[in-house]
Amino acid sequence: MIRRRTFLTAAGILLAAPLQLRAGSAPRLAAIDWAMMETAIALGHVPVAGAELIRYRADVKEPKIPDEVVDLGLRGSPNYELLQLVRPDLILSSPYYTQYRSRLETIAPVLSLTFFVRGEAPLPRAFVALGDLANAIDDAPAAARVGEAAEAALDAAAARLAPFRDRPIALVDIGDARHMRMFGFDSLFGSTLARLGLTNARSQPTAFGFMAPVPMEVLADMPEARLVVIGPPPLAARRALARSVLWHALPPVAQNRVHALPGLNPFGAVPTALRFAAELEHALTSGPTTIA
Amino acid sequence: MTRILTLLPALFAAGLLWLLAAHALAGWNWPTLPFKAEAMTLDQIRLAFGLMPRGAIALVAGAMLGLSGAILQVVLRNPVADPTTLGIQSGAQLALVLGTVVAPGIMEHGRWPVAVSGAAAAALLVMAIGARRAFAPVTMVIAGMLVGMTASAIATAITLSQGEYLLSLVIWNGGSLVQQDWSGVRALTAVLAGGALAAGLLVRPLRVLSLGVEGARGLGLNVAAIRLLAVTVALVLAAAVSAEVGLIAFVGLAGPAVARVLGATGSGRLMVLSAVAGALLLSLSDGLVLAMAGLGAESFPTGALTGLIGGPLLIALLPRLRGATPPGEERAESGYRRARRPTALLAGLAFAILLAGAVLLVVGRVPGGWALLDRESFATFLPMRLPRLIGATAAGAALGMAGAILQRLTANPLASPEVLGVSGGAALGYALAVFLVAAPGMGTLAGGTMTGGMVALTVVASFARRRRMPPERILLAGIAVSALASAVLAAIMAVGDARSFLVLAWLSGSAAAVTPAGAAGLCAVVALVLAMAFSTRRWLGILPLGDGVAAGLGIPTGQARLALVAVSGIAVGGATILVGPLSFVGLMAPHMSRRMGLVSPLGHLAGAALIGGGLMLAADFGARMAGFPYELPLGLFASLIGAPWLIGLMMRRAR
Repeated sequence: MIRRRTFLTAAGILLAAPLQLRAGSAPRLAAIDWAMMETAIALGHVPVAGAELIRYRADVKEPKIPDEVVDLGLRGSPNYELLQLVRPDLILSSPYYTQYRSRLETIAPVLSLTFFVRGEAPLPRAFVALGDLANAIDDAPAAARVGEAAEAALDAAAARLAPFRDRPIALVDIGDARHMRMFGFDSLFGSTLARLGLTNARSQPTAFGFMAPVPMEVLADMPEARLVVIGPPPLAARRALARSVLWHALPPVAQNRVHALPGLNPFGAVPTALRFAAELEHALTSGPTTIA
Repeated sequence: MTRILTLLPALFAAGLLWLLAAHALAGWNWPTLPFKAEAMTLDQIRLAFGLMPRGAIALVAGAMLGLSGAILQVVLRNPVADPTTLGIQSGAQLALVLGTVVAPGIMEHGRWPVAVSGAAAAALLVMAIGARRAFAPVTMVIAGMLVGMTASAIATAITLSQGEYLLSLVIWNGGSLVQQDWSGVRALTAVLAGGALAAGLLVRPLRVLSLGVEGARGLGLNVAAIRLLAVTVALVLAAAVSAEVGLIAFVGLAGPAVARVLGATGSGRLMVLSAVAGALLLSLSDGLVLAMAGLGAESFPTGALTGLIGGPLLIALLPRLRGATPPGEERAESGYRRARRPTALLAGLAFAILLAGAVLLVVGRVPGGWALLDRESFATFLPMRLPRLIGATAAGAALGMAGAILQRLTANPLASPEVLGVSGGAALGYALAVFLVAAPGMGTLAGGTMTGGMVALTVVASFARRRRMPPERILLAGIAVSALASAVLAAIMAVGDARSFLVLAWLSGSAAAVTPAGAAGLCAVVALVLAMAFSTRRWLGILPLGDGVAAGLGIPTGQARLALVAVSGIAVGGATILVGPLSFVGLMAPHMSRRMGLVSPLGHLAGAALIGGGLMLAADFGARMAGFPYELPLGLFASLIGAPWLIGLMMRRAR
């Protein structure tokens, strides 16, 4: 499609914008943080604008973001003028973005909720966030409804996954043939794993650092574990792993206890937790696979 | 020769550290050769296919980098040349990052071709600049470090824009030596063998070349071919290491330096000893990383450790450079025509900026096209746009003035905040403020960057003065500070918590977040610097003529320098908060000002301020519009304008 370079007046945009949206008095939400965006969607309040949607649609996929949602640009430096144009009633943020909170507050009220704290399980916080967000938009019944349904789904999944309580589970995300990221109890996945009654093979907290991947051989210290790989490993890593003696000697690999999950957002909220539970159940019950 | 024995303790220490790690892993229950995975316990496999190749690759990669540095130093007759200082490693880094992000298909065939072509492109650029100026050592290194800084800034920005999702990029940028089979060792050993053979064959021609180009030609040597061959060998060695284990900086600089201290004089001996020293150095660094990991510390990549030695080492090596430059090769530019009516010119510039600012205030992009604001939306947007436009312009003006002051202070046309380490120091100050103060406000951060900038500049200036160095050497000291700053920043990232996130957000930040108070503060900085420049205009006019002249005319040179250093530190510190550590505006603006014929000290400064403001305004516009609605880092966009211009300038300044 050829991009039109017509000169429009900004007022025209302002007038046009509400037409694309549902009528009624539903609050217009703009989400900077992805966990907040997911929480809003779970409550049935799809934001009118969200940050870094290109990346979100490519990596996270679920829950789906409708095409008419406006992309606000990078999470680290959102486009304030565009944010102004979409005229949000409430901006959804998190402590990751405190440095420009005062800036957001000049545009609309800001709701900033904490999901991830070093050394703390995020899933309970994600459930609390459901309630907090619902209160902020005067839709408390939605939180109760969604929260109960989610708890019920997790309970059911936990019951079905009971046969897999015999072994601890190592949750990893493979970076290259030598390094991975391991999800501990303070990650969304680790916290959901615990909620499902399963044991996490990693007892230390998650290394979410920018440059803190864990060497692959850490898995050697977890001989009993099932290995659950979240997201497809890069192609080059897969090829190198296929040749690697160490990889094939790792007990979970050698004894065929590797399970693969599709890509999930490690910094998600309740919807991602539910999706993780469903995918984990599918991966464990459908048996081990070879990823390399 | 007995001095070589001093390497033994290093060898012993590296071996001991490795043995400690090995013992912690498998006790003394070592596997026997040949390694058969089926017959081994898991711990033996970890030893045989993890720790052993790791120890071996540290030796091999270190030797390759040391050899590469030694070859470059011999062929360029330059004691500070190495794959890092010549931008070769950063070229490989940028190519690999681009390859991973833009065309992952290419990377499936391995990283080698991509890394080598990136390294070659960077080396070609640096060599082209060097060739214009007879490969003068300092010019080469300045060109190399600037090319390298730009390449890694772009690579960092791309990595950041991919978020944490590309774990492989992050790992690679760190330079980790973790292995899990012998394939890397085999590949690198083959390259090292080839490189050593080629270096051996090149020793004789290089020795002849070291007698001088004329003499070598007289003896029937194809000088250009020998140089090209030698540089290619060095380049392939360094690029192979980059492709296999990632970015390991400055080992190629340290290896030959150690070799020289040990008394290596001839080219052949220098190459051998450099390789040995490089191997030991990298092994020792990796041993330390292993030991720290064994003690339960956060595991971090070995490359982050070696990066830290680069800055101090460069500074330590500076005195060696004395007299290494052929006279007349690194001379200041002079002889500009004088503008006939400088005041009118300045007024015109100011008017142009105001006009551009006014246009930018009412025009903008919206989804689906461009928009001209009507009165109502103008009123809503004004509180957002005005601080941003003013802030960007003021930051550019501050950088332009700082550059002009520094160029006059050092009598060097290549001086700029980036090159003199002021920006690097400011970045360090920012990072320290983030880490030492619980919840730093804008004031604390500004204080941090300003202090950091001033301290860095004071260190560089005092060092240069004590050693009575010619101006070019000052630039190198500044670049060393910049290298140290970026290494420390990288190490801070390795800690990886919410505070590193803050530093990252700043590195990739745009001018969008500037508050009205922040913009006003920056304007105050500009006014302050302008006032100080006005009161010191006589110094600014006389200092470029040299200390002798200045002292003869009764200027207290010490105090004058100190005052000007403080002014530049304040200006750069203020601007760095908004723009980030790299922009090149402080280099470009004073030059353009001079080219326009603004030669008097005050005119030069005012012109630099106006041009700097205009450049930053343009950069801000570009950063906002190029990827709409995604706002690109302002500093990155400014350096995309500045870097090609700078390279062009260095190419042109031949003869």
